[in-house]
Amino acid sequence: MLEEKHVHKQSSKRSFDVSDAANIALFLAAFAGIWQLVFLLGIWPTYLMPSPAIVVTEIGNLIENNSLSIGIGITVARLAAGFMISLGIGVGVGLAMVKFRGFGKTMSSFAVGLLTFPSIAWVPFAIIFFGFNDFGILFVVVMASVFSVMITTYSSIRNIPPLYLRAARNMGANGFTLFRHVMIPAATPSLILGIRQAWSFAWHALIGAELLITTLYGLGHILMVGREFNHLDTIIATMITIFMIGIIFDRIIFRKIEERVRSRWGLDQHSE
Amino acid sequence: MITSEYKQDGNAMLLQVKEVSKAFNYADSKTLQRNAVLRNVSIDIKDGEFVTIVGPSGCGKSTLLNIIAGLERPDSGNILVKGESKTSTDPDRIVIFQEGGLFPWLTVLENVEFGLKLSGVPQEKRRHAASQFVNAVQLSRFADSYIYQLSGGMKQRVAIARALALNPDILLMDEPFAALDVQTRDLLHNQLLQIHEATKKTILFVTHNINEALSLGDRIVVLSPRTGSIKREFAIGLPRPRDVQSPELTVIKRQILKELEEDFQFARRETRTQTIQ
Repeated sequence: MLEEKHVHKQSSKRSFDVSDAANIALFLAAFAGIWQLVFLLGIWPTYLMPSPAIVVTEIGNLIENNSLSIGIGITVARLAAGFMISLGIGVGVGLAMVKFRGFGKTMSSFAVGLLTFPSIAWVPFAIIFFGFNDFGILFVVVMASVFSVMITTYSSIRNIPPLYLRAARNMGANGFTLFRHVMIPAATPSLILGIRQAWSFAWHALIGAELLITTLYGLGHILMVGREFNHLDTIIATMITIFMIGIIFDRIIFRKIEERVRSRWGLDQHSE
Repeated sequence: MITSEYKQDGNAMLLQVKEVSKAFNYADSKTLQRNAVLRNVSIDIKDGEFVTIVGPSGCGKSTLLNIIAGLERPDSGNILVKGESKTSTDPDRIVIFQEGGLFPWLTVLENVEFGLKLSGVPQEKRRHAASQFVNAVQLSRFADSYIYQLSGGMKQRVAIARALALNPDILLMDEPFAALDVQTRDLLHNQLLQIHEATKKTILFVTHNINEALSLGDRIVVLSPRTGSIKREFAIGLPRPRDVQSPELTVIKRQILKELEEDFQFARRETRTQTIQ
C-alpha cells in the first residue's frame, strides 16, 4: 500500500512537470508575440521600443563581449557573500535571542521594526560610511536580510513542539546534543521558509544598491550604463538576466530544498 | 551504600515514589490560585511489575509520570530508582507519550536508533540493535518509512521500540493508546503483554480507561482528582489475556467506578457552585 502511494506520487509529479513546461512555453510565446506586434505597429521609435529580436541580439552581444558573464559573476558573488554574512550573523544573534529571554524579547521587536525598514534607505548611510565600493553594497545587502534571518531563527526554535524536546530530554539529550539532533532538524522547515524570504530581501537590496552605489562591475552597473547611453535594448537584456537569476535561485534551488524538507517531514499531506 | 542495600534485599522496590506533592498556579479571573494536583502520593513498584494508574482526566496522572521521569520537579517528596534518589531525566526511565513524540525528520529505524546515538553507540552496532527492536514490534517492512506514512497504531509501536532500545529499568506509559480505535488498541495490548512477558520490563501505565487498566495491570492504583492522592489499590492475580467481562473483573470494575463516582459528584458540585456565583 505504501509503495503504491509512492509510485502514484511520482507519476503525478512527472506529468505535472510536463504540463508546466508547456504552459511556460505558451506563455513566453504569447508574450513575445504581443511584444513583436506592438513593435510592428510602430507607435514608438525603435530606441524606445526595441523588438524581441533586437533584445536577443543584444543579449548575444553582451555575452560575446563578456560584460554579461562578468556582471553576473560579480553580482552573484556579492549576493552570496552578503547572504552568507547575513546567515552567520542572523543565526548567531537569533540563537542568542533564544538563549537569553530578555534580550530575545527586546531584540525581536527591534528586528521586526527594521524588517519593514526599506533597505534602499540604508544607501546614503552606506555611501558616506563606506564610500562607493563593495563594502557599501554588502552593507546594504546584509542590513536588508539579516533581520529576517534573525527573526526566523528565533521564532522557528521557539515554535518547536515541546513534546519533541521532552521526548529527547527523556532519552538523554541535553545542551548541545539536544540542539544538534532535535532543535535544528525540528526547526528546519520553518527556517527554510524564512531563509528563502531573507534571500529575496537580499536580492532586491543588491540590485538597488548596485544602481545607486556605482562601482565598475555588476548587473546594476550594466543597467546604469544602458541608461546613460539610452540603450533600452541593453537595459531590457539585463532585466531579463536579473529575472532569470531570480527564477533560478528561488524556483529551482530554494523550492527544491523546501519540497524535499516538506515531504520528508510529512508536511505536504493536505495537498495530496 | 543505599545501592548495595537494594541488592541484598530481594524484596526491595525498583521504583519508589515517596510522598510526592505538586501544585500548579492558575490564574482565575481575578486572583492567582494554587491547585494541588498531587498530595503525598506514594507508590512502590517491584522489579518486573506491571502497574496501572487509573483516574479521570485532571487527576494528575500525567504529572506524576512526568515527575517520575524527571521531566518535572515535585514540590516535595522524591523518586527513588533502585534506592537511589533521582531528580533529572535519565534513559533508565523512558516515557511513551500519548502522541508518540516521534521525530518526523527521521525514519522509523533512525527514530529507534536515536537514544543509542545519544549514548554514543557506534553506527553499525546501533543500526543492528535498532532493527531488532523494529522487528520485535513487527514493523521491519516500514523500517525506512517516515513517521507521517504510518498509522496511529504503528506510530505507538515505533515509540515502544524506541523506548525498549534504550533498555530502561522502567517504561512509563502516558495513555499511549488513548487515541487509537478499539481493535488497534486490543492488538497493541496483546503486543505489549507479550513484550512484558518476554522482557520482564517494569511498566507503569497511566490511563483513564478502566477496562484497559483491568486487562493489563498486576496492580491497579486509583488516583483521585479531588484529593490528589491514591484512593485505593487493587491487586489482580488473574492470568492474561483477561476477559474484562469476567465476574471477578466486573466486581473490581464496579468498585473502581464507585471510588471514582464520588469524585465525579464532587466535580459536578463544584461546577454548579461556580455557575451560581
